[in-house]
Amino acid sequence: MTELGELSRSQLVLRLVVLVGPVVAVLAGGPAGHWPPWWVIAVVVGLAGGFAAFPESPVGATAMLAVLVWWAAGLDDGLHPAVLVAAAALLVSHVAAVLASYGPGEMPVDPALVRLWVVRGALLLAPVPLVWGLALLLRGEPEEPGVWVVGVAAGLVVTVAAGVALTSEPRREEQ
Amino acid sequence: MSSLDAVWHPTGSLGRAVVVAAVAVCGALLVGDPSLLVVAVPFVAIATLGLLHRPAMAPALSPTISVRLDHGMLHEGQGTTSRMTLTGADDAEYLTRASGRPPYVAMRPHHGQVGALLAGADGPAPLIEVSPRRWGRRILGEEKVALTTPWAGYRFGPVPLGGQQVRVLPATSAYDSRAEVPQPLGLVGAHRSRRPGGGTELAGIRPFLPGDRLRRVNWRVSLRTGDLHVVSTRAEEDSGVLLVVDALADHGASGGVDGASSSLDLAVRAAAAIAEHHVRSGDRVALRVVGRGRELVGFGTGARHLRRLHHTLAAVRPGELVGAPDAGVLQLGVTGGTVVILLSPMLAEATGTVAATLTRRGVPVLVVDTLPADVRPGVADGTDPAVAALAWRMRTLERSVVLQRLAALGCPVVPWRGPGTIDEVLRRLARRAELPRVAR
Repeated sequence: MTELGELSRSQLVLRLVVLVGPVVAVLAGGPAGHWPPWWVIAVVVGLAGGFAAFPESPVGATAMLAVLVWWAAGLDDGLHPAVLVAAAALLVSHVAAVLASYGPGEMPVDPALVRLWVVRGALLLAPVPLVWGLALLLRGEPEEPGVWVVGVAAGLVVTVAAGVALTSEPRREEQ
Repeated sequence: MSSLDAVWHPTGSLGRAVVVAAVAVCGALLVGDPSLLVVAVPFVAIATLGLLHRPAMAPALSPTISVRLDHGMLHEGQGTTSRMTLTGADDAEYLTRASGRPPYVAMRPHHGQVGALLAGADGPAPLIEVSPRRWGRRILGEEKVALTTPWAGYRFGPVPLGGQQVRVLPATSAYDSRAEVPQPLGLVGAHRSRRPGGGTELAGIRPFLPGDRLRRVNWRVSLRTGDLHVVSTRAEEDSGVLLVVDALADHGASGGVDGASSSLDLAVRAAAAIAEHHVRSGDRVALRVVGRGRELVGFGTGARHLRRLHHTLAAVRPGELVGAPDAGVLQLGVTGGTVVILLSPMLAEATGTVAATLTRRGVPVLVVDTLPADVRPGVADGTDPAVAALAWRMRTLERSVVLQRLAALGCPVVPWRGPGTIDEVLRRLARRAELPRVAR
């Protein structure tokens, strides 16, 4: 583990973003009418701190799952616009952790890599409001059996297709 | 390159994305909460894209990485480039090089930690500039390398790569001397000898003797006196210079070529400079290291010999003469016509004794004091600072007594100041050498 004082400035910024992301995501429940109690915030801050210290460790997934549990358990009307903020905060935190994990903490983050991931992050965020809007439109409709599974499968197929299309070079076959 | 990490493996980021996506989607399906699906969407995408760029896992298709330095030998302060050759990295998008932090080695950029997006399968990898800042044996180019696939799904390494041992020669500081060596005794050289010979320095005008060359006849004096007279000159000979480096201990902290110098830094750099000067002047130069390694280079001349001297100086390591039966008595094997230049902090009894003994024997000895001015003694943990300070004060008092006694014997002691340091004392030694004396 790299000492805090040895972290490069860009790494410090990234770790701060990693720390703040889950906290913002859980606090986003407040405007939706369900402010988290202090102990929930404390747990998330603790987990997010571990996530910032060890961006490659499973603590990051734990912090994000804690946020998901809060959103799933705490809110009656989950389609409040605040969920967009939560989704964006979690994604930004994840991308910052990815950037931080490309090298040791002393190494400054490559600006070209940051630009690449900013574009990727924007692409990843683009479908979030679409899905949210779609869910909002379908909220009042009678639920067809299996519509959720079909929807998720369709989303996966679209993602895989987009990924294959985006792969610029043909991949070698495994021997 | 051989390491357990030299395989592609999923990154923690991919694991996190997969877990968050899976839990969020399953939660959305189980609870019927669409908000979880909204949160899951980017993670589903990033996990899928990461998995889609799964690299070829077969060992035969693993990337091969090698690193080499542009130079195998350097002087301290000089720099070289560490170049990486990468093959079979078709699946990689980003390369990270993280060098270790060996002492007295400066690296650019960012202390040898650099990463770059790869331009292609065999595209150029980022370079690291390496510069050793202190003489000695250094391991350069030791680093860890990692490759990451697009969308950070998989990582190869970090793979540790062994470095290359480089002998860092001492810096050849600007040094020149116009003083002649006291006792030239050789064949040909640049120093004025006491005996007559075919040199350029005027010794006198004497009557013609059979065998004198006609071109040496001084016609003006011959016409005035009526007898043939010739100009006699003094021979020009080379000299033997024995450099003795005291490596029994290293006093003071070394900051490398740009920073403070320890006693051994001063001794090694001064020896390198003096050796270079005398070798280029045509003198025979020998080196004797008094220390753990007991390195010894015999008398010799020429560029190749100078290189050998520098290489030997670069290998000097401080330490006591352990196990030597004559650890307290140094036998330098000095022959006639040799000037001894002793580079020492003069804190060991043996060096003071050998300087005094040689001076009494009539050998020109010059001591270059290499003890830094602001040196503080290194003491073991738990030592009372007051006791350590008192002991150091007593030691420096003893040292000053030794230096005074040497000066009284006629052995000059000068601190190293770079160019011209030993000019004045060499001139004085040369003048004294011309006087008749009885060796005791």
